[in-house]
Amino acid sequence: MPPIPDDEPPALSVRGIGKSFPGVRALRGVDLDVHAGTVHALLGENGAGKSTLCNILSGALTDHEGSIELAGRPVRPHSPRDAHRLGIGMIHQELTLVPDLPVADNILLGAEPRTRFGTIDKRRMRARAAELLAAVGLDLDPRAPVRQCRIAEQQLIELAKALSVDVRVLIMDEPTSALADTEVRRLFGVIRTLTARGVAVIYISHRLEELEEIADTVTVLRDGAGVGTRAMADASRAELIGMMVGRPLGEMYPGEGAPDAVAGTRLRVERLTVTADPAAGRAGLHDVDLTVRAGEIVGLAGLMGAGRTEVVEALYGVYGAVRGSISLDDSRYRPSSPRAAIRRGLALVAEDRKTQSLVLDNTVRFNASLAALRRFRRYGRVHRRAERRAVDEQIAALRVRTPGGEAVVGTLSGGNQQKVVLAKCLLTRPSVLLLDEPTRGIDVGAKAEIHGICRRLAAQGTAILLVSSEMPELLALCDRIVVLCEGRVTAVLDSDEASQEAILTAAMARRTVLAGAASGGARAGEGR
Amino acid sequence: MTGEVTGVAAPVQVAGWRRAVSILGSLQGYVGLVLVVAFGIVTRGDTFLSQANLTNAVGAFASRGILAVGETLVILTAGIDLSVGSMLGLASMVSAMLLVNQDLPPVVILPLCMLCGAAMGLVNGIGSTWLRIQPFVMTLATLSVFRGIDRQLSDNVSVGTQVAGPNGALTGHSNTFQLFGTPGHNLFAGTLGAGVYYPVLAFVLVCVLCQLLLSQTRFGRHVYAVGGNETAARLSGVNTDRVKIAVFVLCGLLAGFAGPIDAAYSASADPLAGTSYELDAIAAAVIGGASLAGGRGSVVGTFVGALILTLLDNVLGLNAVSDNLQLIIKGCIVVVAVVLQRPDLLRSLAHFVRRITARTGRSS
Amino acid sequence: MRTRAIARPRALALAVALATTGTVLAGCASTAQTPASAGKSGHFVVAYSQSNNAEPYRAQLNIQLKYFMEKYKDVELLPIADAKQSSATQVSQVQQFIQRKVDALIVSPNEPAPLTSAVAQACKAKIPVVILDRSVNTDCYSAFIGGDNYVAGKKAGQLAVSLLPHGGNVGELQGILSDQPQIDRDKGFRDAIKANPKIHLVVHREAKWLKDDATRITGQWLAQGQKLDLVYAQNDPMALGGYLAASSAGKQKSIKFIGTDGLAIPDGGIRAVQQGQLAGTFIYPTCAKEAAATVEKLLHHQKVAKKSTLDIVAVTPANAAALYKQNDFSRYR
Repeated sequence: MPPIPDDEPPALSVRGIGKSFPGVRALRGVDLDVHAGTVHALLGENGAGKSTLCNILSGALTDHEGSIELAGRPVRPHSPRDAHRLGIGMIHQELTLVPDLPVADNILLGAEPRTRFGTIDKRRMRARAAELLAAVGLDLDPRAPVRQCRIAEQQLIELAKALSVDVRVLIMDEPTSALADTEVRRLFGVIRTLTARGVAVIYISHRLEELEEIADTVTVLRDGAGVGTRAMADASRAELIGMMVGRPLGEMYPGEGAPDAVAGTRLRVERLTVTADPAAGRAGLHDVDLTVRAGEIVGLAGLMGAGRTEVVEALYGVYGAVRGSISLDDSRYRPSSPRAAIRRGLALVAEDRKTQSLVLDNTVRFNASLAALRRFRRYGRVHRRAERRAVDEQIAALRVRTPGGEAVVGTLSGGNQQKVVLAKCLLTRPSVLLLDEPTRGIDVGAKAEIHGICRRLAAQGTAILLVSSEMPELLALCDRIVVLCEGRVTAVLDSDEASQEAILTAAMARRTVLAGAASGGARAGEGR
Repeated sequence: MTGEVTGVAAPVQVAGWRRAVSILGSLQGYVGLVLVVAFGIVTRGDTFLSQANLTNAVGAFASRGILAVGETLVILTAGIDLSVGSMLGLASMVSAMLLVNQDLPPVVILPLCMLCGAAMGLVNGIGSTWLRIQPFVMTLATLSVFRGIDRQLSDNVSVGTQVAGPNGALTGHSNTFQLFGTPGHNLFAGTLGAGVYYPVLAFVLVCVLCQLLLSQTRFGRHVYAVGGNETAARLSGVNTDRVKIAVFVLCGLLAGFAGPIDAAYSASADPLAGTSYELDAIAAAVIGGASLAGGRGSVVGTFVGALILTLLDNVLGLNAVSDNLQLIIKGCIVVVAVVLQRPDLLRSLAHFVRRITARTGRSS
Repeated sequence: MRTRAIARPRALALAVALATTGTVLAGCASTAQTPASAGKSGHFVVAYSQSNNAEPYRAQLNIQLKYFMEKYKDVELLPIADAKQSSATQVSQVQQFIQRKVDALIVSPNEPAPLTSAVAQACKAKIPVVILDRSVNTDCYSAFIGGDNYVAGKKAGQLAVSLLPHGGNVGELQGILSDQPQIDRDKGFRDAIKANPKIHLVVHREAKWLKDDATRITGQWLAQGQKLDLVYAQNDPMALGGYLAASSAGKQKSIKFIGTDGLAIPDGGIRAVQQGQLAGTFIYPTCAKEAAATVEKLLHHQKVAKKSTLDIVAVTPANAAALYKQNDFSRYR
């Protein structure tokens, strides 16, 4: 039944959108109405069809069923360019900037102003870029190469790029997955100015607390179909989660779990110091001390660029030799290479699973066993049967949802990819597990499962060092939280004294002035 | 709970169609070869399939085929080796000079050539890892350096390998050297009927060994990992520099191995031998499904690619196609072969057909 | 701050680019003033630009030229410049020699057209130029010395006619089809075999002057079932390549092979005739001896022939040993 038309038709209205990929029905008859000046959230587990829907709307995917109307006018975008012309902009989850081009060139890529001679009008381009940057609250030199900008800045540059055309509908796919809390604030500010100007925003995120803050309406997708649309104010978290997973999920972060086993210190780090390397986007560390006992989960908190990733990467030998003294089970450990680290029983789930952890084109088995091939050596060959058995065991234990060990990793959903990374680490039988944002960009169900796995491992005596930007996650999982700010430890909080406020206070210990300025952000020499 | 996102249970005929597609899909890699062979059989049945002709065809390409195998290893790590032709040329010159000037037995010459090739590969490997020169640039430079050494050694004069002794007959070592591939000289002749033509045997053997190396060993896994995602490989404890150096050394070793074959095939080492062989080697690897971006490809694929190239040349030659036309046809076949081997070809084709039928169905 | 950091290298690069352009323009405008190198009176500097050192025939030419030049005590031959088969390289090398104001110039042109202007420049600078083997499209040179490819092909054809008195089937292995020597030798050969209408040229293919290509192609001919009585190859390596293919099929006795070039090197055609692999070959003259003599005369302002064509000598099993000895320069390398 068609909806009764209002006085003003919705900015975007889709009816019965369907799309099939080989072997998969990605979308089946989704309806959606997005009104001008509102933020409409799309919620669903990974693989529920959110990205497919957005790709159809933005013209990246063609050949679908159903109809799209823009302000009451039927349209059918055939390419992203086409969609642009219609006023549909999209910001992808993966940044799509050209690192070596200047900011201005990136923002106006494909729409460069030209002089009468047909060459690029650099001056006008810079002016226009500066204008757009100001609109998203960024104060950057348009001539600086994007490579030099931090992730958060790049995210906003993407936004500026989307605004370079006169957008009526803006689609944002997980724009905050790489941002720390203060940067999220800034992004929200920009979104609010946009909606005030009458832009309709479609917003995808897994972070429910964010949606509660920014979204007006929410539509939940499951298995490619719309499950329901609610006004955000009326929807409870439990209800939304229930809609997403299709089964009641007791609690998102079942708290509690500090093991009372008083075990010895597994990892002791004293005066860990790393020099900053702005070219490689590496922050410096200054005399970082921390300890992790066997069976303990220790959190590392801090803002972007505080040096959290640097701590785990330094321990893992990514930077080669570092200053400071480190011991494992009371014996001296000098990081030299990831290879040596693995031999000493360390394992790292790196920050970005796609670029740092997985060979996406290869199989689950290939990826999972990569770090532990030594275990399956027999007569100079890899013993396939032993390998397959061990991998299958991990797939089952971690509940990786995959057609099998021979499935290509790139075809799995984010959460399952992350579990494959975990399987890879666990196959090396680590005694210290370093986790860098292990739940970034994965759906609620998988997130809860990964939390469960962490607890189980800790209970079995593994020492875990967990980096996370999500404070509820840290608070729920960790026995202790070490807070970093600008490469120094500013607080060590036990689970009973830790709170969001305490963490944030320590994380901004030295940046109160800058945080107050809010828009500029500290940039020099710490980009990531 | 399974993660399989399959739709409603498919009707029987759809399942059958799917199975057919998947079987066709698994054979797809060989479509190009099948087409060439079919073309050969249809146009020149008996001649084409005769053992002598096939031996000639594969034997003529064997040295380039061996280069292609080494090239595949390098390409798998997302590198490229442009110097293989020059390495082969130098190795072939070294083999001929060791034979003619030092009168060494071929069993000694072969390992020396391989050593020489491995040393050249090591230079490439070190340049593209420790010195951080892009493999393309590094091997472009050594392409020139190795050729220069080759020409300096030989003083631009080709060296014949058929050395006559004082009595006018070939010397013993020179006679043995012919077994490396001078046309008409086969291994085990007599015990095995007509015998085995060494270049063909060597090529097949190299393919088998390298395929096993890639599919069965840790090293093979590491090669794929480095090419697929170098960062991930390093963080998984793979010594990426060592893997890259190793593939360059192996590639050089194989070029050194192919050198004597090339010298014996022409019964002389030409200072220009192997010029532009790198293009054939890369072509064979790419037709065989290797991705220049790294991480994808196999030696079996390269073997098929090499067969496509040489059999195509053979078929066109047997049919007396003019030289100019041959160039056009060969280029087109490369494009067709690569397109045919694309894994999603059947899918997109089916999709296209479905769309066309849907459109006509709607309009009627 | 960031602005300036970016702006500065850009300005610097621009300045460097401008400076470079300026230098190049200045360089073009004025020909270098440095006088001829080491110009003692009675001492002449001669330069030779070779089209491609890597061809065995040309490598022989180089050796011979050095040998004959040394005989003239008042002449110094600069290190031979190798154009590596590139006309552009050769043009720039010739221009460099003009800049150096050498006393005489010998050029083996890679291709006629591109070298014409370079030779004209030398002529304008009053440097005597001796052209070897391939001509240029200007008359402004002092002497041309070369063999005649048409004659080489024709003599090969005549040999074929005498080897096949009752006629027969002939195959031809050609060099790169667009090369002038290929075109001339092919024409000469075809014209000569017309003498016996029972001789048929049944197959001919491009083997690019290369031995392994010739082996492969001859192998294909034999596999096709071609009944060949004689194979004419436009150079010796191709003839020997064909011979290898025939011997692998056991047909080396029934097919006769004729080559061209006749180099006196262990791997060359004369040896092959001596060993009975080739029925005959033809010594295409390197012109080195004549070039040296001509240059000497030009330097002393004596008259030379504007154009001289050297004879093509046939190598037969009977004279092969003697010709080898006579043309062997390996001891002078």
